[in-house]
Amino acid sequence: MTVEVVGRGELAESLRGRVSSDVDATVIVVAGRARAVRVNEITDDEIDEQWERPMQDLIGCLQGAHARGARRIVVVVPTTGMSGGAEYSAAAALAEAARVLVKSAARQWGATGVTVNAVAVDPQAFGIDPTRSGPVSIAPRALEGAVDPTATVQWLCSAAAEHVTGQTVVCDGGLWM
Amino acid sequence: MMVGASLIDRVAIVTGAGQGVGEGIARRLAEEGARVVVAARRAETGEPVAASIRDEGGEAVCIETDVAEAASVRRCVAETVERFGRLDVVVHNAFTGGVPHRLEAARIDKHWSAMSRTSVWASLFCARESYPHLVESSRRPAGDGGGRLILITSPSGVEGSANIPLYSPAKAGQRAIAKSLAREWGPDGITVNCIAPVAASPSLLTAFERNPALQQALEARTPLGRVGDITRDIGSVALFLAGDDSSYVTGQTIVCDGGSFLGL
Repeated sequence: MTVEVVGRGELAESLRGRVSSDVDATVIVVAGRARAVRVNEITDDEIDEQWERPMQDLIGCLQGAHARGARRIVVVVPTTGMSGGAEYSAAAALAEAARVLVKSAARQWGATGVTVNAVAVDPQAFGIDPTRSGPVSIAPRALEGAVDPTATVQWLCSAAAEHVTGQTVVCDGGLWM
Repeated sequence: MMVGASLIDRVAIVTGAGQGVGEGIARRLAEEGARVVVAARRAETGEPVAASIRDEGGEAVCIETDVAEAASVRRCVAETVERFGRLDVVVHNAFTGGVPHRLEAARIDKHWSAMSRTSVWASLFCARESYPHLVESSRRPAGDGGGRLILITSPSGVEGSANIPLYSPAKAGQRAIAKSLAREWGPDGITVNCIAPVAASPSLLTAFERNPALQQALEARTPLGRVGDITRDIGSVALFLAGDDSSYVTGQTIVCDGGSFLGL
């Protein structure tokens, strides 16, 4: 069985080759170069770059995963969609839209046994600067040490997760709750 | 008919106010004394609403606005400020799209672009163009101002949709924008919130006519047992978010659907 990892950047590279599964799976790391910009200064090109093109890419990736017969689809996003982020309006819109598109896909494709889930990770993995965006949570992170979402992604890609769909598993060491 | 005066002298733009939820919000804000810009894509729909508000003693004008185009939003804001001298409240409600589709067969041009342009792009256009005026409103003495941006989203923007899968992310994006701008604009005293309504809009009433079972099903799953009224139910939530009573509420989504969706 193959696990396809789609996306660019360090996070996608770190998952590529390290996620295996007993069923065909696709992992999509939502693209888009997050750049801090106040909304009164954002340009149409920046909206296109941070919202429109990555959303269109995501739709295409989901369609591609479905077409190739993936039984597990996992979309990796920053928690910024849930928390919001000052100076990251377009990037936050992308993250939350991706997370909710996962739910739509899960509802449509569930009848054929395809599961679609999201893993939400620390925004810094997507280049989002917490000194600009503001804190993710009112409380500090619960767990200490480095956080690696690989095992969480791998579990959602596995046969064992066959009854889990449309969910967001936050894997950030207990920062966003 | 004037009901109150809680928004007296305030100026509000309501996009998509030529019908449905936008019309209901425009009417409710005008009832409370707001001077309302009925921003509609076509004057044929917007002008009758503005005229009706004026006939009932309110103050309203129609400005043709295509929210999908930045230049059109810019013109609307500029004309509003030129005419009324200030801008306090922007309600972005206009939306185009929502054709049922299968996700695996969805086309960007047919099923996505209009929704994306009128939801996320338009929300950012409205925010970008109105920001300096909303800041100015928030600098006014207490009781005489307070910048407000209100985005109309949907319960589907939280829970996803099997029927219109790409509608949900378009609406979800607006919720994230509201949270982000609440953080960004908080120091300016501007609040940014969302309303997720289910109301008797023309499109929903048309769907009921075509499929009476849909109305029965919707009412059956709604604890309050009815579909919301665009003015009394949805407009009143917008009034709260537009006025002084909500000055410490920001970044939130108020679901106004009779209790049908309880997932927040």
